[in-house]
Amino acid sequence: MNFNGTFTQVVDEFVQQVMPSLVVVRGHRFGAGSGIVWDAAGLILTNNHVVGRRNPVVILQDDREYESRLLARDPDVDLALLSIDAAGLIPLVPAPTSPRVGEVVFAFGHPWGQRNTVTRGIVSALVTVQKRRGEKLPVVRSDVPLAPGNSGGPLVNAKGEVVGINAMIIGGDQSVSIASSVATDFVKKAIRNGTSANKREERVPSDVM
Amino acid sequence: MSQNVLVELSDALADAAEKAGKATVLVNARRRMPASGIAYASDLILTADHVVEREDGIKVILADGAEVSARVTGRDAGSDLAVLKLERSTHAVAEATKSPARLGQIVLALGRPSPDGIEASLGTVSAIGGPIRTGRGGMLERYLRTDSISYPGFSGGPLVAADGTVLGLNTSGLANGAAVTVPADIAWRIADTLVQHGRIKRGYLGIRSQTVDISEASQKALQREQATGLLIVGVENSSPAAKGGLIVGDILVGVAGEPVLHHDELFTRLNGDVVGKSVSIDLIRGGQPQTLNVLIGEK
Repeated sequence: MNFNGTFTQVVDEFVQQVMPSLVVVRGHRFGAGSGIVWDAAGLILTNNHVVGRRNPVVILQDDREYESRLLARDPDVDLALLSIDAAGLIPLVPAPTSPRVGEVVFAFGHPWGQRNTVTRGIVSALVTVQKRRGEKLPVVRSDVPLAPGNSGGPLVNAKGEVVGINAMIIGGDQSVSIASSVATDFVKKAIRNGTSANKREERVPSDVM
Repeated sequence: MSQNVLVELSDALADAAEKAGKATVLVNARRRMPASGIAYASDLILTADHVVEREDGIKVILADGAEVSARVTGRDAGSDLAVLKLERSTHAVAEATKSPARLGQIVLALGRPSPDGIEASLGTVSAIGGPIRTGRGGMLERYLRTDSISYPGFSGGPLVAADGTVLGLNTSGLANGAAVTVPADIAWRIADTLVQHGRIKRGYLGIRSQTVDISEASQKALQREQATGLLIVGVENSSPAAKGGLIVGDILVGVAGEPVLHHDELFTRLNGDVVGKSVSIDLIRGGQPQTLNVLIGEK
């Protein structure tokens, strides 16, 4: 068996399987970051710090651009949930359990503005970082090279499941991703509060008028 | 999906980290951040000498989170290795590899710098070198270099093969801060000596020398081809060399029947095994080969 050929082919197929779910999130103040297609109906997950003050533009793999709506944001966990008016998107699935130290992981993103980059490594450590209010945020540390622009992109295991949301800003010079369990909880909460948030959003223009 | 080679590789690496991680401990023996160690026997921890900054109040945290007091059993700055004895036993003991590291082999560097859990980074064996003189007055006959990241506190931790066996001990204390790995066979051998004697003996001859070419005529007289030897330029008073009759101007060409071409080879020959023994020294004196017996001292 040509192991090398097989391995290369498997990695190639793996990248092609994950890549459609990677988007560009272009804020207005800072450069572009990365984002993850979270469901087929247009939910996009990214880092809070990627999203500026106004709704960012989301660019899909086929270069279609969408004005997004900001559904929820939480600076404490550095996550933001956007919605775009697109359908039939290919979402990524969060890993059902937390990763193991040593697992092979890949980061998908746009470091330094370079589109659709894949870097690889392993899960280095499962640790917590202190949030501003003193609560502990579970994060995945890895030896995967990350750079500005990777923020908001997925850290994916060998099965193509999301184990973390890459967040350069939390880790400083180390590669740190917010555990996907945090992301799942954040999205659930955002959707649960969705109706009231939408109402609030509708109320804003009427206040201005 | 589980037949996928990528998933298999990932599972194998996580299994290796888990297996070796059980025998990787936290060593708290310095003021700054803790370092790592390898459970080399049920009550013995092998770690890097340079991370043991104090001999009192050493604490070791095992994989199960238990904190155990430890004391120094033996240490050797030359190879940057130290053995600590635990107050109580741990059940997980590291398994040293039976197949030496190969260039290009996939490896994990493991450490336990915090009580939170094991840490790992991935790499390949980038170089297998040696012998080198260490910055701390020792000689390492063989060493490994990898492209894995040495996170803070990784010194003293294991370099692990994909099957979870230990290929060596990682340390940043031997090569001016750069990470190198002491191969497991050497580390384990030194550890055995440290357990028995508490230190590593090094032979002492008492000469200063420099490498010189050996003339063709001298090589002919020596009856072997040997390009270089060590010209003795100084003999310390009442040293083993002085007592054995070595004088300035002799060219040392062999120790115990083995040719010596460079300083490093002399250093290697003067290991702990020859201390206190009479060893034959081959010389060229006045163009003629000569052999003297010298009782090797200890440094």
